[in-house]
Amino acid sequence: MPSGRGVTRRQMLGIGGALGLMAATGLTSAAALARRPSITGAQLRSAVPLPPPFQVPLPVPAVLKPVGTSGGADRYEITQCEASAEILPGVTTPMWTYNGTFPGPTIESRRGRPVTVSHRNELPVPTVVHLHGGRTPAASDGYPTDLLLPEGRQEHSMHMGHGSEHGMHDPRAVVTELTRDYTFPLDQRPTLLWYHDHRMDFTAPAIWRGLAGLHIVRDDAEDALGLPAGPRELPLMIADRAFAADGSLAYPALDPTLRVRPGVREPYLAGVLGDVILVNGAPWPVHEVDAARYRLRILNASNARHYELEAVTGDGHRLDLVQIGADQGLLAAPVVHRLLPIAPAERYDVVVDFSGVPIGGLVKVVNRLGSGRTRDVMAFRVARKAADDSRVPRTLSTDLPAWRRSDAVRVRDFAFRAGRMHSGHGWLIGGLPFDPARTDVTTRLGDVEVWRLIADVHHPVHLHLVGFRVLSRSGRPPLPHDAGLKDTVSLRPGEAVEIITRFDGYRGRYLFHCHNAEHEDMGMMANLEIV
Amino acid sequence: MLAVAAPRMTPAGWTLRAVVSAHAVAIAGQPVFAGMYLTGDYAGLSLHSAGADVVTSIGYLQVIVAIVVWVRLRQAWPFLATSAVVAAETVQYFAGLDGALWLHLPLGVTTVVAVVVQFIDVWRRPLLRQGAADA
Ligand SMILES: [Cu+2]
Repeated sequence: MPSGRGVTRRQMLGIGGALGLMAATGLTSAAALARRPSITGAQLRSAVPLPPPFQVPLPVPAVLKPVGTSGGADRYEITQCEASAEILPGVTTPMWTYNGTFPGPTIESRRGRPVTVSHRNELPVPTVVHLHGGRTPAASDGYPTDLLLPEGRQEHSMHMGHGSEHGMHDPRAVVTELTRDYTFPLDQRPTLLWYHDHRMDFTAPAIWRGLAGLHIVRDDAEDALGLPAGPRELPLMIADRAFAADGSLAYPALDPTLRVRPGVREPYLAGVLGDVILVNGAPWPVHEVDAARYRLRILNASNARHYELEAVTGDGHRLDLVQIGADQGLLAAPVVHRLLPIAPAERYDVVVDFSGVPIGGLVKVVNRLGSGRTRDVMAFRVARKAADDSRVPRTLSTDLPAWRRSDAVRVRDFAFRAGRMHSGHGWLIGGLPFDPARTDVTTRLGDVEVWRLIADVHHPVHLHLVGFRVLSRSGRPPLPHDAGLKDTVSLRPGEAVEIITRFDGYRGRYLFHCHNAEHEDMGMMANLEIV
Repeated sequence: MLAVAAPRMTPAGWTLRAVVSAHAVAIAGQPVFAGMYLTGDYAGLSLHSAGADVVTSIGYLQVIVAIVVWVRLRQAWPFLATSAVVAAETVQYFAGLDGALWLHLPLGVTTVVAVVVQFIDVWRRPLLRQGAADA
């Protein structure tokens, strides 16, 4: 051994070995401790026995009838009220509902034919109605401080969660009592929208308690395509929940009255996940189908849970999920998936062909991101042979906007990440928590912009008023499921997404925010002023 | 130390020192760019991915130099260490592209440490022909 060296070869070997051991231990622990696949949120555990899967029939929410028609517009009435539901067989669950049901009634409408929905608030808290994906004037877009107060609760306008607690208030808020008319021009591409509560600081628990419903827009061009229709078109609102021992919905709110103190208990800051998967309000339901094509209009109405859906037959073979539409309507051409990721608030319009499945066969819809009971979503039982004259045309639409980067008048960057707000944990956009009194983005009506969004953990980012197209993901081309016109884009941990849109439709104050409902309540919203 | 009267470093030895040094500088930039990116600076993303290309390219260059060192100086160590580092960097590259952050973050720290250790190793003593040094 050379004596002149400070460290002998044996020592070098020892040091090298120790470093190697440290590296191996570190990587093994990372593999063992990290969530693979990654999941943002923490799961609640139900305290009641859960039913076996694929026993409860799939409900389809009733279509609401208009109470009147005047001047080419339809008028609807919805009462927001407490109601009891039997979601789990034999268990009574008190809920907050639209018209007494969960999901709320479905509104069917035609492109360009305005709809006015008169909401009456009989709940114990203020509410706000937002039509997600609607091209709606700002006054009816459900800004979080535009409260609809319950009767005799005028003092609530002075009590708006962290806004008032911290000496901020919103001088532009338009507060009404008992009833409020929301008018939706629906001058937009036909698609599946959904309406839900959007109250400042308490959106997540309000949706969790049941304030969500579907709103479908159709037009003649879509009707003429020959897609599966009638009983072969099914809306599927997927949402996870957890149940307390008394049958109520469990939720880790800091303020169980959902009036003053926003936020959830610390372990759930990243998002609240349930251990029961509901589709249209039923746990792991089953639906009898013909051996034919079905159009499934899928909405992820969960607060924080992401899904990767696949349709698996009894022999383990996966059916094609033929995507025909995105959040904001039909794609240009179908895109075939075997595995379809869906983030909170995203919608996918998908055709599945059951004709190759043997009669009596069960097709399970499975969530690849789930584990244990949350791996199952629902099932289809193929009951009978049937004629099928539906088709999936090669060209679905020709009206998708073709914005190019060169059209953009400006580029904006936004980081979506964890941070501190008002001395507590929160979620920030561009380093700031939401403040109704601060305008974050001002743009001119008609301007085309490119937005570059960067995430630390999962953040499904939603823009009100407009649809956008995905230009890139982490500097690479968009993924197959990014096709078409979207209003919510799912950012995965460490991911950057570039989107392009044109701010048209209406002037006024709108929002963009993370649609992880817990993040949204804990600061992750920002104002978008269109002038 | 003073006993070995100024042993002459060969060009192969100097080249290895140069490549390992460049490697260390390049890899030190990677966490900086990642930090920029994750705090919302979109330019950090392209710097981080360009940096990944540079780091892996230097890694492969270092493999070649280490082979030369092995052949000329009969020292296998630099080659073995470099191979381990380059294997880790290759996995690291694809873990990054894949968004597998559970692997990308700890492996990133590990590779930075490994390159720094190699940097210390090549500079703290001259690389001499095996046999010549021990004689
Ligand atoms: Cu988020």
